[in-house]
Amino acid sequence: MRSAVATEASERAPSPRGDALGDATTVRIASVKKSYGDLEAIREVSCDVADGEFLSVLGPSGCGKSTLLMMIAGLIAPSAGEIRVKDAKVVGPRREVGVVFQSPVLLPWRTVRKNVLFPIELMKLPRSQFVPRAMELLRMAKIEEFAELLPRQLSGGMRQRVAICRALVHDPSILLMDEPFSALDAITRDEMGVELLRIWQANRKTVIFVTHSIREAAFLSDRVLVMGRRPATIIDELAIDLPRPRHIAMTEDEAFNRYVRHLRKAIEASHAG
Amino acid sequence: MRDDIRRHAAALGWPVLVTVLLLLAWEIAVRTLGIRWIILPPPSAVFEVMVTRYDLLLTHLWPSLYLTVLGFVLSVIGGIFVAVLITYSSIVRKGFYPVIVVSQVIPKISIAPLFIVWFGTGTMSSLLLAFLIAFFPMTINAAMGFASVDEDIHRMARTFMGSRWQIFWKVRMPNALPYIFGGMKISITLAIIGVIVSEFVASQEGIGYLIKLAGGLLDTPLMMAAIAVLSISGLALYAIIAGAESWAIYWQPPLETAGAPGG
Repeated sequence: MRSAVATEASERAPSPRGDALGDATTVRIASVKKSYGDLEAIREVSCDVADGEFLSVLGPSGCGKSTLLMMIAGLIAPSAGEIRVKDAKVVGPRREVGVVFQSPVLLPWRTVRKNVLFPIELMKLPRSQFVPRAMELLRMAKIEEFAELLPRQLSGGMRQRVAICRALVHDPSILLMDEPFSALDAITRDEMGVELLRIWQANRKTVIFVTHSIREAAFLSDRVLVMGRRPATIIDELAIDLPRPRHIAMTEDEAFNRYVRHLRKAIEASHAG
Repeated sequence: MRDDIRRHAAALGWPVLVTVLLLLAWEIAVRTLGIRWIILPPPSAVFEVMVTRYDLLLTHLWPSLYLTVLGFVLSVIGGIFVAVLITYSSIVRKGFYPVIVVSQVIPKISIAPLFIVWFGTGTMSSLLLAFLIAFFPMTINAAMGFASVDEDIHRMARTFMGSRWQIFWKVRMPNALPYIFGGMKISITLAIIGVIVSEFVASQEGIGYLIKLAGGLLDTPLMMAAIAVLSISGLALYAIIAGAESWAIYWQPPLETAGAPGG
């Protein structure tokens, strides 16, 4: 296991300057709760994410996993507890973070290249410095030749690749992905998973990947957190000890399927309870 | 490009043919039925007036066009400005916006005589009426455009640390452009109506004044020539906006059937 779940995080007395995190921990989620009035979206979640780790949060829809991700992104404030990224409390969107959403959310009036450079503009970074990086990312995502096309001229899978390039363009150390492949067909989806791992391997970002697909979580991750619906909290955790780089053929292996079975059981248990 | 032109030409072919046939039927009907020209002059007579008295027509066309365009431009600027207030100020949105919408039930044409009382018979009344009548669709369309930003796009821009100002210019504004152009197409035709009505009520110049004057003199061919010149101008203004629209909103696929231009 690459990193332990910090279940006792809330019991640690934080120093006035804030808890100093170890080198290995990039994201610390400490006793985070979220409720909207009477509605409890997240009961209590604590977890540490190691630097360079590929972590999946697996759960049925409506279990609050997207809410958790949006809190890490700094878009939603927790009702209680705190989230720290690189030892700084998250109070809003941060430069170290790149986000890929469920839909590509590209700007239809911008070409692929300009969509990828959009974060650079918003963050007022030196554009000339990042143009080569944008092109490099497009090349890596195998969509370089579409750089000057408009989003409507691309397929769904291509658009999501653009969105991944955009999330990486400012070189964030953490990549947050909110069910990024759920709108794609099964074949494209497998392909995108492999592509994502390839890009991840080349960049070594910390990835927090939210999904409701058991196979996807098992195939991509170093570690999977399973979230239940009632209560909306982490009900299981599983380290995926499969070799990397991973190939789609591995999903036929018994080792892989053991992980899938384990995760499915965990999810079914949450439904029963 | 050439394909584009050919497609446009093909799309124009049928309506042009129908128009020509209608004019021809009109011409023949007037001549064979012996209708008096005071009641209905044939198209050829109207065309003849347009050619022989073009300087009279143009003399009266320019002030009307000038006021129309000025009133239109002011309504676009004012409408977008108010739409921004509606978007960003909850006081304006909750307090003023409903009032603006409800005030739409006032037939603004009926205010024309009131404007004459307030601002006299000069250009000011025409300009204000054109502005007032063109302002509302502009405001409402622009406000709808600014508000119609996809929640996900807004969220995306925020995660990449976009400020309100950046999100306005880089997201809301381009997103609202189709709505704004839609509003402009309505507003330009309304601005013309505002100017003409104001000239009907009280004015010493303008194409509205000329139409009324020719009517008083029972010079029906001149009246219809003035109406024709006005219609052609309206069509031209509309075409300019439609052209600017397809240039500005390059990211939308061209529509198979373009909307019928009013004017």
